[in-house]
Amino acid sequence: MLELIDLRRRYGDVVALDGVSFSVAPGQMFGFVGPNGAGKTTTMRIVLGVLEPDGGEVRWRGAPVDLAIRARFGYMPEERGLYPKMRVRDQLVYLARLHGLDAGAALRAAESWIERVGLTARAGDRVEELSLGNQQRVQLGAALVHGPELLVLDEPFSGLDPVGVDVLSGVLRELADGGVPVVFSSHQLELVERLCEAVAIIKDGRLVATGQVEELRERGRRGRLVRVAVEGADGWRPALPGVEVGEQGPDGLLLHLRDDGDPDRLLDAARAAGRVTHFSFERPTLSQLFRRVVQDEGAPV
Amino acid sequence: MSGRETVMLVARREFVERGRAKAFRIGTLVTLVIVALVAVLPTVLGVGGDEEYTVAVADPAALDVARAAQEDARAFDATITVRQLAAPAASRALEAGDVDAVLTTGGVRAKEKPDDALVDTLQAANRRVRVTRALRAAGVSGDELRTVLAPPPLRVATVEPVDEQQDERGGFAFFTVILLYGQLITFGFLVASGVVEEKASRVVEVLLSTISARHLLTGKILGLGLLGLVQLLLIAVIGLGAAGATGALEVDRDVLVAAGLALAWFVLGYAFYSCAFACAGALVPRQEELQSTTSPLTLLILVSFFLSFAVLDAPDGTLARVSSFLPFAAPMTMPTRIALGEASAVEIVAAIAVTAAATVALIPLAGRIYSGAVLRTGAAVKFREAWRAARA
Repeated sequence: MLELIDLRRRYGDVVALDGVSFSVAPGQMFGFVGPNGAGKTTTMRIVLGVLEPDGGEVRWRGAPVDLAIRARFGYMPEERGLYPKMRVRDQLVYLARLHGLDAGAALRAAESWIERVGLTARAGDRVEELSLGNQQRVQLGAALVHGPELLVLDEPFSGLDPVGVDVLSGVLRELADGGVPVVFSSHQLELVERLCEAVAIIKDGRLVATGQVEELRERGRRGRLVRVAVEGADGWRPALPGVEVGEQGPDGLLLHLRDDGDPDRLLDAARAAGRVTHFSFERPTLSQLFRRVVQDEGAPV
Repeated sequence: MSGRETVMLVARREFVERGRAKAFRIGTLVTLVIVALVAVLPTVLGVGGDEEYTVAVADPAALDVARAAQEDARAFDATITVRQLAAPAASRALEAGDVDAVLTTGGVRAKEKPDDALVDTLQAANRRVRVTRALRAAGVSGDELRTVLAPPPLRVATVEPVDEQQDERGGFAFFTVILLYGQLITFGFLVASGVVEEKASRVVEVLLSTISARHLLTGKILGLGLLGLVQLLLIAVIGLGAAGATGALEVDRDVLVAAGLALAWFVLGYAFYSCAFACAGALVPRQEELQSTTSPLTLLILVSFFLSFAVLDAPDGTLARVSSFLPFAAPMTMPTRIALGEASAVEIVAAIAVTAAATVALIPLAGRIYSGAVLRTGAAVKFREAWRAARA
């Protein structure tokens, strides 16, 4: 289990992290989301020891993380993270060796990952000669070549085409199923919702929500999002206290109920407008939750 | 994995990757060709050897003067060939450039302004011949003539032993300066641009999640330094070999010791400058901005380069002595003095100690700046910020 305990970090006068704590269970796919500049990369860099926190600590399997433990982590930074002029195979062998594999094992691991990401024909090429998509495959191989016990990826899906997204999701899923916790940040919330069991939403250096995705959606439901369909009254828009009108979808009109909004009065108003064919409390999607917590001044979910 | 193994892995990558880069190989080859040519060419072209003149004598009466000049020329390491030609033939030869001058009883005729050395020799010979004739006409006997006209020569003595190889050693020192200058600049820049490359490509994040900044920096500096040393050694062997084979330089024990010490000074100078260049690299986000942080260092090396030329002129002067104890200049001025044979063993040891001590003091400072700055992406990092960002 990976534990982040009350991480704090400032850059000069700017507070980048203001007490971030969460944990990732073995075999868990963990999504790390938040607006730009919220502190995602800073958090990941601290986990990887690339950055020192001002306060707090990172624990792995109950022990504080040091350089020897980190050698068994895998990390993929946001951009490249490869020597542009180094050959693919040499690069993977070098990184494997830095992580403690001996020469023979490093070469075997490099060859095997090159094959797995489908770059056997390009193994002797310089990284800069490859297309961006292929460079990303090398990057993935580089993060995995030493068989890490934990994988941390910063925006691994950005810039991938749909096929690339599927390939990468498959590889990550496989690793997680094998017991390796996988933490990644992403702006593609539908993807995070689909792939991850748990998420942390960060804003301005603080966690605004963390936990199992299903649990968060369930908690976010509590009569707050209502979908109503009224037959023969397409233009119907209720004007009630505590009710905000959302978008009109194919299955009806979405309404937000604030704390002072009353669902019973809403239903009465709908029935007065026409025949009600649909009335349900909706579970918000992750993106809706995200928008809510990020836009509503970080109100906790 | 131990720190030593990590440093070796990093150093090996630097050595191998840089060493097999096409630009590096071509650069080395070009340098070797230039060094070999410079060592061989003076001998092949006859520059610096004996001066040779051909003088046509059209007037039999002037023959005595020509013969006398021929005799005198030997004292100046010059040879005068005398050709007796009829006046028209002499003019044609002069026109065609076959002879340097035409000598008559009354004068010297040349195509363009003749060499002063040749003219002076002919004038002196002319005076001697005329004086001899006048004395003989006045009835002075042959023995007396000889006593008057060929007195025993002045004996020349020096306080310090004369180095027969002085000119050659000057040339050797000159080359040492140029090579050290080139090598320090080149490998300083390789360190800086290597650091920027890792920073710009974010490889440094991956690396520093596994190894410490100290090990990464040490490995990089060691690997590139070794490459620079090997390259310099190759140049020294080829250059001295070519110069020795053609006789341009007598490669004796002193020269070999000086060459060995020059290599040692490269190591010292590189150790001093590479730390600073690594910081210069860590402070900027892109190769394009490297100029801004490296220019103070380039300037220091350039100043040392010009100091070395001053030292070439006065290897024993105050400037030479003072600059031997300035850690940034010593790696270039000291080898110059050593190559000229003007530095005492005590001075050499003391200068090495001073530069080494300065480097040892610089390393922890450089390490701190480097690790404080190398992970800061975005804009260029200010020196003070980098200093503060690094915690012990």
